Amino acid sequence: MSVKPILSIKNLQKTYPNGVQALKGVSFDVKKGEFLVVIGLSGSGKSTMLRCINRLNEPTAGEMVFNDGKVEKDLVKLEKATDIKWLRQNVGMIFQHFNLIPRHSVLSNVLMGKLSKTSTLKSLFGIFSDEDIAEAMKYLKLVGIAEKAHIRADQLSGGQQQRVAIARALTQNPQILLADEPVASLDPATCHVVMDYLRKVNQELGITIICNLHFLSLVRQYATRVVALKGGELVYEGDPKSIDDAWFEKIYGAGAKEVHIN
Amino acid sequence: MKSYVVRRSILDGFTFAFLIASLAVWIINPTDEQALNMKLNVALFFAAFIVGTFVSHVLTKMKVTTLGEALFQPPYKKSVVSVSWYKTFSAWHLIVLLVGLIIVSIIKTKFSIYELLNEDGFNGAMRLFKGIFSPNFAILPKAILNIIETIFMAFLATALAIPFAFVLSFVSAKNIMTGTTGFWIYLAMRTLFNVMRSIEALVWAIIFSVWVGIGPFAGMLALMIHSIASLAKQYSEMVETVSEGPIEGVQSCGANKLQTIWYAIVPQVVLPYVSFTVYRWDINVRMATIIGLVGGGGIGTLLVQYQGQAMWPEVGTIIVVIAIVVWAMDQASAYIREALK
Ligand SMILES: Nc1ncnc2c1ncn2[C@@H]1O[C@H](COP(=O)(O)OP(=O)(O)OP(=O)(O)O)[C@@H](O)[C@H]1O
Ligand SMILES: [Mg+2]
Repeated sequence: MSVKPILSIKNLQKTYPNGVQALKGVSFDVKKGEFLVVIGLSGSGKSTMLRCINRLNEPTAGEMVFNDGKVEKDLVKLEKATDIKWLRQNVGMIFQHFNLIPRHSVLSNVLMGKLSKTSTLKSLFGIFSDEDIAEAMKYLKLVGIAEKAHIRADQLSGGQQQRVAIARALTQNPQILLADEPVASLDPATCHVVMDYLRKVNQELGITIICNLHFLSLVRQYATRVVALKGGELVYEGDPKSIDDAWFEKIYGAGAKEVHIN
Repeated sequence: MKSYVVRRSILDGFTFAFLIASLAVWIINPTDEQALNMKLNVALFFAAFIVGTFVSHVLTKMKVTTLGEALFQPPYKKSVVSVSWYKTFSAWHLIVLLVGLIIVSIIKTKFSIYELLNEDGFNGAMRLFKGIFSPNFAILPKAILNIIETIFMAFLATALAIPFAFVLSFVSAKNIMTGTTGFWIYLAMRTLFNVMRSIEALVWAIIFSVWVGIGPFAGMLALMIHSIASLAKQYSEMVETVSEGPIEGVQSCGANKLQTIWYAIVPQVVLPYVSFTVYRWDINVRMATIIGLVGGGGIGTLLVQYQGQAMWPEVGTIIVVIAIVVWAMDQASAYIREALK
C-alpha cells in the first residue's frame, strides 16, 4: 500500500526581491501524521521554507502538492484570496515570538483561529458562535491553560504564550501545523513543556507537524524524521537517530560542536 | 542622480542666487517698475541659481565643502578630520548667508528703533495695556458663553474628523498599500493631505464663511478639514510603525485584509490614536480662537468686535478667559496623553 504524502514538495525555489536566493530547489515529501523536523544553520532557509508552505512568502518556482486523501492541490498555484484562506485553514502556524495580539485576552487570541470561518462583519464586532468559543476553550484545556482564558495575552510568560499560540492554531482545525523555532526564545525547562504539547497534538490529534529546530537533542527526542537544509539546499533526509558526527559536520560545517540541553 | 546631490545643488544654488540678488538690489537700487518686472527678475534669479549650482559642483569637485555638501552628504562621506570651524568653507558660507538674511529682513520689515520709541505710539500702547490690565468683568458671562461655543466648535471638528481620518489612515499607510496600485494610492493620499494641511485653517475658514455664511459652522468646517488631514497623516505614520508579529499571527489563521487590520493593527495603534486626537482637540481650541477673528464665530469673533471699537477693558477680559481655557486644555490633554503612554 502506498499512501500519498500529505505534502509533496518539488524543486521549491525562493529568491527574495533583494536577490538573496534563500531556497535553491528543495524537494522532499511530508508523510501524513509525522513529526518532521527541519534543521540547518542560521540563514539556511528554514523559515523561508515554512513560510512558503502557508504562503506568507511567495515561492518563486516549484511545486507543493497537498493531498489529504480528499483534495489534491498544488499550493504554489493558489491565487485567489479564497484559496489562500482554504490553505491557511488547513495549515496552521506557530512562531518563535508567538505573534499573539498583546492587548487582547487569551480567549480572544485563540478565537482568531476561527476568523477564516467567520463573516467579516461578525468578526469586526467580535461575535463568535457558542460552538466556536467552546472549541477554543477545549483547545486551551488541551494545552493546560484554560484558567488563563480571560487574562491579557501579554501578561503571560513566554511558554504560556506559545501554548496559547498552539491553541489558536488548533482552533483552525488544521491538518498540518508549521512551527518556526517554537522554543528558541524559551528556557530549557519550558522548552520541553511546549515540545511535549506539540507531540501531544501530533499523536493525539494526528496533526502532521513540520517544525524548525536548532537543538539536536530536541530533534532526537521529538522528531520522527529529519530534513536538513544548508545554503538553501536539502543535504539530509532521514531518521533522527542516524545523524552521526559525519552528518553533523556536513550540515553544520567542520569544527561545529553539538550543544546539549536537557 | 543621487538625491543628496540634488539637495546640495538646490541649497547652494539658492544661497548663491540670494546673495547675488541682494547685492544687485543694493547696488542698482531699482525703481518700483523695475522691481515689479517679474519675468526679467525671475529669469535673472534663475540664471544666478544655475551659476550657483555650477559653482557648488566645481567647489565640491575641488574637495571644498560647501554648506549644502556639509549638510546633505551621506554619512559614509563625512570625514572626521578636525579642522577649526573658521578654517572651513562651509562655516563661512553659513555666516555670510545668515548675515545676508538678517540684513535683508531688517530692511524688509522696516525695523525701526525710532518707531518703537516714538512717544505718541508708546502712549497709545500704554493706554491699551492699562485697559487690558483693568478688565471689565461685566462682559464675563458673554465671554464665557462665547468660549463655550469655541470649545464645542473645536470638539465637533475633532469628533467629525476622527472617522474620516481613521479610515484614510490605513489607505495612506505604506505597509498596507502594497503593490503598484497600492503605492500610487498611498502617494496620492499623502500628497492630498500635505496640500490640505498646507492651506491654513484660517484660509479654509474664509472659504467656508463665503460658502455657509459667517459663524461657528464655517469655523467648525475649516477646523474639521484641517484636522482630517493632520490626524490622517499622524495616524498613518503610527500604522507604519506597528510590529509585524501579530499581523502574521492573524494572517496565518486565514484572516482577510479587514480582519487583519481590525485585530492585528488597530489594537496596536488605538492608544496613540486617542492621544493624538486629544492633542488635536487642544490645538483646535487654540485655532478656533484665531479662526473667530475672520468670522468663524466663538470667542475670536467677540474679540475682534471689541478690538474694532478700541474697548480695551473688554478685550482684557476676553484675553483672560482665553488664557485660562487654553492653559486648562493644555494641562488636561498633557495629563491624558501621559496616562495613555
Ligand atoms: N524578507 C527577506 N528579504 C530578503 N532576504 C531575506 C528575507 N528573509 C530572509 N532572507 C534571507 O534568506 C536567507 C534564509 O533566511 P531564513 O530566515 O529562511 O533562514 P533560517 O534558516 O530561518 O535562519 P534562522 O535559523 O536564523 O531563523 C538568509 O540569507 C536571509 O538573509
Ligand atoms: Mg528562521
